[in-house]
Amino acid sequence: MEIKLNGRIDSNNAPQVEKGIVEQLGSQSGDLVLDASGLEYISSAGLRILLRLRREYPEIRLSNVSSEIYEILDMTGFTEMMTVEKAYRTLSVEGCECIGRGAKGAVYRLDDENIVKVYFDSDALDEIKNEREMAKLALILGVPTAISYEVVRVGESYGSVFELLNARSFAQILASEPGSFDRCVKEFASLLKKIHSIEVPADKLHDIKPEALSWVDRLGGCMTEESKEQIRNMILAVPDRRTMLHGDFHPKNIMFQNGEALVIDMDTLAYGHPIFELCSVYNALAGFSEYDHEVVKKFQGFDRELSVRFFNAALAEYLGTTSETKLREVTDKARILSYTRLIGRAVQKHGLETEKGRAEVALWKENLLELLKTADTLAFSPNELETEAAKENLPDVLAFIEEHVEPLCLSEKAKMQLDLAAEEIFVNIADYAYAPGKGRAKILVETDENAHEAVITFSDEGKPFDPTAKADPELLIPAVDRTPGGLGIFLTKKLMDGVSYEYRDGRNILKLIKKA
Amino acid sequence: MELSFNSNDGAAVISIAGRLDTVTAPELDDYINARISGIETLTLDCAGLEYISSAGLRVLLRAHKKMSAGGSMKLINVGPIVSEIFEITGFNEILTIE
Repeated sequence: MEIKLNGRIDSNNAPQVEKGIVEQLGSQSGDLVLDASGLEYISSAGLRILLRLRREYPEIRLSNVSSEIYEILDMTGFTEMMTVEKAYRTLSVEGCECIGRGAKGAVYRLDDENIVKVYFDSDALDEIKNEREMAKLALILGVPTAISYEVVRVGESYGSVFELLNARSFAQILASEPGSFDRCVKEFASLLKKIHSIEVPADKLHDIKPEALSWVDRLGGCMTEESKEQIRNMILAVPDRRTMLHGDFHPKNIMFQNGEALVIDMDTLAYGHPIFELCSVYNALAGFSEYDHEVVKKFQGFDRELSVRFFNAALAEYLGTTSETKLREVTDKARILSYTRLIGRAVQKHGLETEKGRAEVALWKENLLELLKTADTLAFSPNELETEAAKENLPDVLAFIEEHVEPLCLSEKAKMQLDLAAEEIFVNIADYAYAPGKGRAKILVETDENAHEAVITFSDEGKPFDPTAKADPELLIPAVDRTPGGLGIFLTKKLMDGVSYEYRDGRNILKLIKKA
Repeated sequence: MELSFNSNDGAAVISIAGRLDTVTAPELDDYINARISGIETLTLDCAGLEYISSAGLRVLLRAHKKMSAGGSMKLINVGPIVSEIFEITGFNEILTIE
């Protein structure tokens, strides 16, 4: 039951107003909503009417309450006794600069200090509430972001207003100031790391994995059942994490405000393994524009060359590595999810009906099939390198280890010793594990919290072989009689503080321990 | 790794600088083999040698065996890090190190 309140309610007219309301209500029970859109003033006599109505209708609700009336209700404690919904201010964005456009809405600058995000969906109130809740949660957990302070009506839609003083997006900065590249890379990666350092509390946000599985379903007949099954299994095998993910992390959604970087557009927040995030970062900066390079120019405002360079630099900064092998590994994993998502999206959006759409999908598909040939996992960890066990990758392996044992501050001599041991083990795998074929090796570098020691774990799926079981070479026999074997593992044992081997789950696992 | 060669009347000096590892060892092996015919005394100047792994040791061992047949080989200016490797493996007993 809804009743409209109009004009002023004070001691002069309160009895008549109450009589009118009671007459309209008759003997009806249930929910009572008082529409206050026409209400200009309410005195204590009017408030007493509300109290009496509340006895009959405990769920009484006031809607479209103006700011002035809301203030009275708030001061007198009425906002705590009953549901009071504020009226939305009406705004016009006519003549305002449109500074961003996403899937769900467009962002306009209202003045120097305020922007409004206008939602395309005219029934977006729940969505706005949801995004606000997510932004609040993120802010409390330590993510620098902006929270809207007011919901407004914009024509037939709703909008949320944010205060963003002198803010510019990274996309704008990158497009207009070439010298800002390095700083943007650093801030971009550090913000992403910040988000990924956050554990999402139980029953907040949603798991990204089911969403990722739905990307595979969308592929439809575009990929074979076998390929789809392979991708599905890889997604299922990604370790479950409660790591916070932004979901739409790209330079347009990162703003610089008074020297501080903050992330906006929080409606895609979720939790899961960071590879799912890197997939969407790759899409925005490289995947979308792989066939039509103009796409990124239209979307971000800078050209593809810069966009791809930015992705590579930001990923290196994010992973804390310059290892080409490591960067390739993680990029390729992100690309598998990216292409899956892009193809599915195109299929769903009738992308196959145009010639350009078909060419675009054909390129993504070709790349995806190529990646699927060798892919077996999607998860990655920053301190683990996965690479082909081949001698030419040795320098990269050593560089990767050196980067990750940095906290130990090893002496030059200790670094050499570690290099030597790692070389012996890696070359051993390259020479024998898969011979005469080829295969992959993983190198995990762990350091303890106090940086006292590093543990480097080499593993491969080759023939079971325990190098530690090999007898030490006889050292004092004359040179002419010496055989060249066994020296490597012998040196390794002598130079490390621990060497151990085990064969588990079909893998040779060799651990080196080096103390600082 | 950087290599250079000097010879004078049957005596040759090869200077080795940088890292002697799995990747670079074959290069040194070829380098030595291509230059030792007619050489009686071979000196390996290790002043710039920063690192040696077992692949490098094997190359030195091979060169030592070849030179021992009709001449001699010695190493000079070996730094402490490489020296430790020679000690651990007993190479300081086998090779002539000055």
